Amino acid sequence: MLTLPPFEYHSPTTVEEAVALLRQHRGQVKVIAGGTDLVPNMKHRLFTPAHVVGLKAIAGLDRVAEEGPDIRLGAMCTIAQLARDPLVQKTLPSLAAAASQIAGPQLREMGTLGGNICLDTRCVYYNQTYFWRKALGFCLKKDGTVCHVVQGGQRCVAAASNDTVPVLMTLNARVRAVGTNGLREIPIAELYVPDGIVNTVLAPEELVVEVRVPRPEGRLIAGYQKLRVRASIDYPALTIAVAAKIDPADRAEWIRVVVSALGARPHLVGGLERFRGRRFDQGLAAEVSQVAYRQCHPLTNINVDPAWRREMVPVFVRRAFARAQLSGSGYFEKEGAQRTSDSPPPPNTPTQQTR
Amino acid sequence: MLGRPQKILISLDLNGQRYELAVEPRSTLLEAIRYAAGLTGSKQGCDKGDCGACTVLSNGAPILSCISLAVEHQGDRITTIEGLAHGGKVHPVQDAFDLCGALQCGFCQSGMMISAAALLERNPKPTREQIKEALSGNLCRCTGYTKILEAVEVASGQRQLAELDPRPTTGSPA
Amino acid sequence: MSFGKKLNVVGRRLRKVDGLQKATGAAVYADDIKLPRMLHCKILRSPHAHARIKRIDFSRCLEHPGVVAVLEGKEIPTRYGVIPWTPDEQALAADKARFVGDEVAAVAAEDELAAEEALELIDVEYEVLPPLIDPAEALREQRIKIHEGSKQGNISKHVELSFGDVAAGFDRCAAIADETFYYEGSTHTPIEPHCAIGNYDADGNLTVWSSTQIPHYVHRELSRVLELPEARVRVIQPFLGGAFGGKSDPFSLEFVVAKLSMKTGRPVKCLFTREEVFWAHRGRHPMKMRFKVGLSETGRIESVDSKILIDGGAYSSFGLVTAYYAGQLLTGPYQFGAYHFDSTRVFTNKPPCGPKRGHGSVQPRFAFEVALDMAAEKLGLDPIEVRRRNFIGENVKTINGQLITSNGFLRCLDLVEKASGWKERKGKLGFGRGLGVAGSMYISGTAYPVYPNEMPQAGIQVKLDRSGKVTIFSGASDIGQGSNSVPAYLIAEEIGCDPRDCLVVVSDTDLTPVDLGAYSSRVTFMLGIACVEAGRKLWAQISAAVAEKWGVEAARIEGSLGTIFVPETALSMSFKEAVRLAEAKFGTLGATGSYRTEKLGGDYRGGTIGASPAYSFTAHAVEVQVDPETGIWTVERVWAAHDCGKALNPTLVEGQIEGSVYMGYAEAAMEEMTYLPSGLHRGPSLLDYRIPTSLDTPELTAMIVESGDPKGPYGAKEAGEGPLHPVIPAISNAIHDAVGIWLTELPFHPGKLLRLLREKDKPRAPVPPVEERISAAGESRA
Repeated sequence: MLTLPPFEYHSPTTVEEAVALLRQHRGQVKVIAGGTDLVPNMKHRLFTPAHVVGLKAIAGLDRVAEEGPDIRLGAMCTIAQLARDPLVQKTLPSLAAAASQIAGPQLREMGTLGGNICLDTRCVYYNQTYFWRKALGFCLKKDGTVCHVVQGGQRCVAAASNDTVPVLMTLNARVRAVGTNGLREIPIAELYVPDGIVNTVLAPEELVVEVRVPRPEGRLIAGYQKLRVRASIDYPALTIAVAAKIDPADRAEWIRVVVSALGARPHLVGGLERFRGRRFDQGLAAEVSQVAYRQCHPLTNINVDPAWRREMVPVFVRRAFARAQLSGSGYFEKEGAQRTSDSPPPPNTPTQQTR
Repeated sequence: MLGRPQKILISLDLNGQRYELAVEPRSTLLEAIRYAAGLTGSKQGCDKGDCGACTVLSNGAPILSCISLAVEHQGDRITTIEGLAHGGKVHPVQDAFDLCGALQCGFCQSGMMISAAALLERNPKPTREQIKEALSGNLCRCTGYTKILEAVEVASGQRQLAELDPRPTTGSPA
Repeated sequence: MSFGKKLNVVGRRLRKVDGLQKATGAAVYADDIKLPRMLHCKILRSPHAHARIKRIDFSRCLEHPGVVAVLEGKEIPTRYGVIPWTPDEQALAADKARFVGDEVAAVAAEDELAAEEALELIDVEYEVLPPLIDPAEALREQRIKIHEGSKQGNISKHVELSFGDVAAGFDRCAAIADETFYYEGSTHTPIEPHCAIGNYDADGNLTVWSSTQIPHYVHRELSRVLELPEARVRVIQPFLGGAFGGKSDPFSLEFVVAKLSMKTGRPVKCLFTREEVFWAHRGRHPMKMRFKVGLSETGRIESVDSKILIDGGAYSSFGLVTAYYAGQLLTGPYQFGAYHFDSTRVFTNKPPCGPKRGHGSVQPRFAFEVALDMAAEKLGLDPIEVRRRNFIGENVKTINGQLITSNGFLRCLDLVEKASGWKERKGKLGFGRGLGVAGSMYISGTAYPVYPNEMPQAGIQVKLDRSGKVTIFSGASDIGQGSNSVPAYLIAEEIGCDPRDCLVVVSDTDLTPVDLGAYSSRVTFMLGIACVEAGRKLWAQISAAVAEKWGVEAARIEGSLGTIFVPETALSMSFKEAVRLAEAKFGTLGATGSYRTEKLGGDYRGGTIGASPAYSFTAHAVEVQVDPETGIWTVERVWAAHDCGKALNPTLVEGQIEGSVYMGYAEAAMEEMTYLPSGLHRGPSLLDYRIPTSLDTPELTAMIVESGDPKGPYGAKEAGEGPLHPVIPAISNAIHDAVGIWLTELPFHPGKLLRLLREKDKPRAPVPPVEERISAAGESRA
């Protein structure tokens, strides 16, 4: 079986202690939360840290709570916990939906919100064994100098594959991290940079401890759609999160669409301000989907036909809106809005569908 | 001799029994269970969390032991396939898997039965769709899942075997 | 055999003899074995698809404190292969590496990590050669040869056979389908990776425990390669975690652990990583196939012509047989007027292909069954009707000279027609939903053993103890199909004991009689016949002894589930008592049975390949739904009817049907062995090589047809491979019914479907323009 390389294990009991360990062993240390990303990556020798810092002994990082205008989600909340939590299901249904579609059941029991936010980017030329990568001649992201996705590419385009992040971006979440200079709060839309090697602005010794999501007020609808080949286990080939604030006259106050599993950072679709004040219906969703389509350019970094993935962008944006939820019920059903021909959720079998 | 970081003593409640195991920090929970504790019922199929053959319960939750560090389970309650049977009787899931012909090569099934048992613990009468969902992290290559789904329906008392002949069996059901 | 007798065990849904061992985790698989002082072995593999090995330097490696021994190819240079005519493999390549992952050297160390670290310290000097990845290129290429010894370029095997006048046949046709098909390669992915342990003891005996489905061939090849007398080599197959043909070659690790144990005097284990299982491969051959199928005005198949290019990968494996099977196994369940095939297997610098479930015939079956629908459509013929009209019948010879005995294909068609509501629903489901059908035939073992000999292909030994215990020694390889249970069922049926009182000792070359292995769907058929023979011999003794005691005719005595009795009398005793009487009368009790090869096949070169004592038949109907907006298709249900002759245990037969349908569906839906231009596999893991989960696998209904084969044990034929075939073309045919396009390339990617749909019918779905190229620069915008 694939082995893990040797390392020393540390089990701090406070965040401060953890941060101190990260500082002390800077450059030779990795944090382990659920381990679902780190352990396979270490088995692939993508990381061979001399030290691994576990967070399980730190109390209080796995809470879900309401506080003031926010929903607070601890970084050590498991994905399964998010999917099942009644508060998350009620107030942040698109997040619960995204969480429930991550990987497979066991991975959801293990993986954490913090881990998902800090998930290493993924690429078919990167997430492989040492032998495989050596046979390839290595790549830009690890041990090599060339990009195999983009001929002559100088910047790594490994794909952001975190399912929760697009949703959190549409909901304007903030990520709280503790580093050597104490706590800071980063709007999640500003957390990611277009560099597949390290795609966050977090400092090496910074630890994500919490996510705060403004409690949705008024008529805020949010939806999530995921494309993957299998209905379980797989990482996304495409993730789409949508949200819209709708005024009492059924006009859009704002619309946000995030498309991910394309490149190094989740893509917040730009130029949607122009739809402000338009009547929010399926026709508008279709227009928005075309804007998204024009901005999205999937690559061969994921082993699913990029041309097809691209064509699925508008389809899944439309479907995300069509099935978007307002406090647990479909907006369009609730509002009695007309279904158009492009919102069929037809087959009752979930195979290959939107998971 | 090999110049590796020192082993760490971990204490586990493994199937209701206390085990103290000296493991390298890099040891996975699966390696600890199979090679240090000698409980070989849990299998490894994919090396890295893609197949589910190594599924065990950690404090009741199904997890993949091949990508869990043993040192992170200090003090945890771990249940493997060897721990499903109680008081000399096999678990209803184990009995149903045998009865329904869900066990072909059997290799994925330790993990599969653990996932099934965890499901029934949470949800004693799952729908077929819920069963499929709960077992979707356990790959089986022999059965096409059909008899596995039937077995979970039998184990949860939702299905009777159509042509079950109770007389001659080659094993003794619980 | 035994028709008319009331059956007490056969045909019942019994548990397997080893089911609870598996259910409780007690069953011991190869990697569960741990011997004292055991070393761990890792194999160094070539990072090049094609390279000459100039020099191997172990000096740095030997300095690693965990390393105990190293091994290179020239220490065990003897070439081997599962087919004795094409021995082209070496345990470790001594001269050339022929694919990325080819074995080059090995290390035995104190633990797995030490062995892995030590591999990095082996210095190999390679002369990199141009790789041949594309089979068409390999076929053309004359200068670069993957195997220097090949007679003709990179051709592994070429077969061309003709039966009847194909050209004249096409002249008589009212409709012809002439189409090119592509079948992508796929691999078995048993959940258990290959594992072997070698132990060479002080007495000079070598024991190898291996996750193999062919202990006997491994035994022979170990002896030959290691130059040890066969009597000094013992091969034990522990519980096996799936195989599907993927463990039916001798593999490098078996020789390597044996040799390293001989070198070190310690037991040595090698467990493949999942990636190494992909390098070992031996999976489904990619095939490019041109098929021409012609129908007469009345829908009779007048003429079939195929030309097939087979991508063999780097070594022969079973390839000689593959090239034949690609043509020879197509000649049922339909009567062909004339038939010609031309198949060529070429070597390429990729992991070697071999026998995956439905060896050699799944690909042409797909092409043929789709082409048949294409031609039938031109005549306006219903797909089930055209298959009925061409039914070949029972007790007939196929056009290529194979003898078909029983044939339940028409009943299979009837069943799937009824179950799917075909008559009422076909063609009436509206756009996006459709029904499809396909049929097939498969062998129940091959009449021709892998190496020519006059000895039995399968054997059984039974020991009766005065305790009433029945110990059965069976050499057959249980790969999950249940062959450990079959002897208990059949012997219990024959001698009247309770199957629970049977102990089946299996697959250990020192203890059990030779069985050639779990391949070609031969086990139940051949093992079963051996069991019946041994059981009859014992019953003759038991019944004679009891008859003497009771003073009745032996023929009146019956036995059932542990009781021996004369029907409609009060005469009754336990099986144990009966055994004691027999032992007193005849001495120690035991018997053997065997299956001997029958002379079968066409009278021409290659005519015995594909010759089987009996053939199974299958029909599938499939209902699909296609989402025209995404191209995503889903199978609503598969109805699979299979003629297995007689279901010795219906539960196990259904399991084989269900598993086959699943595996065929998987090949249609998602599985593909694809490579980078350098010959590196794109994703050798269970994450990237996607096999269906419980959520992806369609609901399916398995239906058993029992045609009662005159030759099979209790009428049984195969069930493990035949039912894989039809589901793939049936899906393609159903998608045609749903949306009017023909899918001719596997797998059926939604993107591919969507493109074909657009080409066919542009204005149907509102879709975005696709002219914008996927640009690398796009990423920075995104």
